[in-house]
Amino acid sequence: MTRTNLDYSKILITNNLMRNAGEETYYLGITRTVQESKFFPVSAYVMLGYLNAFYRYPTLLRKIEKHMPPEEIANRIRNATSKVHSMGINWCMVNFYLLGREMLINMGVIRPHDASEDLVYVLDFWRRFQLASRREDGHITCKEGGHRSQYLPERRVQVYHADLHACEEGDALHSAADKFLAALSQYVVLVACESRVCMTNHGPYNLGGNRELLVRDFFDLAEGDMPWLDGLATDVPHARLTVTTAVKNTSFYIVDDWGSFESKPDYKAENLCGVGLYTSDELSETQIPVGMGSKEELTETLERYTQIFKDTTAKLWKRFAAYKREQLMDAGALTYFNIIKDFAHIAGCYEADDWNKIDVRADRFRPLLNDEYGNQVLGALFVPLSCPSHQVTPYTMMQHSNLPKRTYSPLSAALLDEDDVAPTVGDQLYPGITYLPEKVDRYRTTQGVMGLAELNQRTRDFLPALCSDRFKNLDDTWVKYHYDTPLADELYKVEQQYSRKLKGKGASLSRDDVNALADI
Amino acid sequence: MASLYLDSNKYEDGEGAPILEAYHSATKALVRKKLLESKQSWANFVFSSSYDLINTAEILQIDQQVLESGYRFTSSAMISAFERPDAYKPIPGAEKNSDEFSFEHSGAITTVQIGGREQRGQGDNVVKYKANTTGVAKYFRSIQDVANALENGVPADTIAIIDDSGGTLTAPILEQFKGVICAGGTVRSHLGILTREYGIPCLMNSKVNGIRNGDRIEIEVSAPAKTTEAYQSGQEMSVRVWRLIA
Repeated sequence: MTRTNLDYSKILITNNLMRNAGEETYYLGITRTVQESKFFPVSAYVMLGYLNAFYRYPTLLRKIEKHMPPEEIANRIRNATSKVHSMGINWCMVNFYLLGREMLINMGVIRPHDASEDLVYVLDFWRRFQLASRREDGHITCKEGGHRSQYLPERRVQVYHADLHACEEGDALHSAADKFLAALSQYVVLVACESRVCMTNHGPYNLGGNRELLVRDFFDLAEGDMPWLDGLATDVPHARLTVTTAVKNTSFYIVDDWGSFESKPDYKAENLCGVGLYTSDELSETQIPVGMGSKEELTETLERYTQIFKDTTAKLWKRFAAYKREQLMDAGALTYFNIIKDFAHIAGCYEADDWNKIDVRADRFRPLLNDEYGNQVLGALFVPLSCPSHQVTPYTMMQHSNLPKRTYSPLSAALLDEDDVAPTVGDQLYPGITYLPEKVDRYRTTQGVMGLAELNQRTRDFLPALCSDRFKNLDDTWVKYHYDTPLADELYKVEQQYSRKLKGKGASLSRDDVNALADI
Repeated sequence: MASLYLDSNKYEDGEGAPILEAYHSATKALVRKKLLESKQSWANFVFSSSYDLINTAEILQIDQQVLESGYRFTSSAMISAFERPDAYKPIPGAEKNSDEFSFEHSGAITTVQIGGREQRGQGDNVVKYKANTTGVAKYFRSIQDVANALENGVPADTIAIIDDSGGTLTAPILEQFKGVICAGGTVRSHLGILTREYGIPCLMNSKVNGIRNGDRIEIEVSAPAKTTEAYQSGQEMSVRVWRLIA
């Protein structure tokens, strides 16, 4: 006989997190479009990814936490671009796990209170990371923040602001930036197998003068974690890029947990008035400017990279076009499942087989995952909420729909009285399989191309100064009351070390001061 | 027969689509059978012996039983029907020469010729431009269509007609289109987002009728773009597609 180690409070907190996640999933489902593709079996691979998340996330997250707790992970990556700052964690992590769980409940394979300790752990890890990562605005999700995604500290926003190169419709930089964003967006949708998980938007940040800063991050661009880029994305010079965009006369009133935005009036390229380009990762102190020395250099850089991304898109398209269906399934499912993989990179414990294989416990359901079932079950789990587990007492009026439904099955408090529970899917990973070629041991980073053992070791050995005990707790709340101290200056100067405009300026600058220094 | 936790459900109202009913009924029946055979408690079964007992071979049988009943799946990705023609319904129009193909959407609004053009349908405008776009219609419905264009180039003035609202099928040639008419999705679909990034006029969720490869057509992209609020409220904001008569 086994009793759960959970208590009443943990169950209630978990149910609250699930309820919020479910209601936002419903909202996103009705306000955003469904993914469709004649190229990839999208819904089918999505479901395979969800199942893999259910069986693997608990074990992998416990492994990661043994190396580094989520609060420290948040500190370590605060100053760099990473998928852990994207829709990947804002929405995907918990909802992939929960959607896989709900699918299995409705198949009769598990009960709602099976794997309860896993469930509580996965959501608690997520909550702890999100609170630490988003400490500047204090919201656990963009939804909770009123559909805003403003997690950067002032010191970083000031550098982005000050170093923007001005552009206007018709000039060379504007044209180059437009074409670059189009080519890069096209490329990452293909890298991510018809999904948006390799790009995100965050902000907006108010630059004054009726201008807002929207930060656009792009991930997994070069040879690295995605096996289909091995030997193909060899010309792509950076694995991650951040494009800072200043937009005039446009109010971004929604930046949601999927990294999508809405604006009034509608976003138009002609309103782009400033642009910047950066790269970073676990091995960089902070954001490294790319081609930012002058407007002309940035224009040339964007034009050159545009051609690289176009050429690589064509090569990747041909590679995917030659794949079998099960290879496309694996590529898509792994793209989804491994959305949280950067936790392992940051903790220095990344292993390719952890993240590039479908666990046999998930894979046994692959024969069901034809296109039609994939579409129907994904749809049922998102918006109609038509499965048996979704139905509740008819007195209920669900947020957004008024229907007697809920997205996720809560844990019953009666679980505490059960004598024979199954609290976890298991403490070890089961073997994984893939129809894709084995991953090549080649990873592009800001410090060059290296093998995984070296990457993990260098990550473990590297402590960014901003994550040191001296600085790691110095958030914007502290700066507000200590901006005029030598320690605050020291903190800001670390962030400003690569800045064209702010290097050495310290902590005392106001937004007006930055505007006076900036080119836009 | 063993009973499952879900077998007692005060508010159950069915699974929905026939394929869900069929598969989920079958998986539940399989779990009941294997639980009974295991002679174990559920807690001992669910995350241990069930991993061996509910295996790929057993799941494959569910798929086979559905197919043996005569059911055929609807495909989304072309490769699914291509690799398993015995399991999927044929893709409408896929067997035709693309020059002989035309969408015949029942919801397309058509009018008689007025002033050298006739309306052949409508769609949701992604971005409002200063003027309408005219060009030559060409269907891109398959990987082979795109591969041919990648090899030989996209003819100048091409307005692509596509039934895939995704951003991957036409990825390597999208930039070369003068305009796009997409039969699926919304203005927020990947194809809508990418055409917006490229500055390519595009209609999504289009219904068109009788347009063939080589027809000169015009899309009303000077009209307002469809808004999120219009989608949420069901407000009609479609713009027109015309065939130009020489």
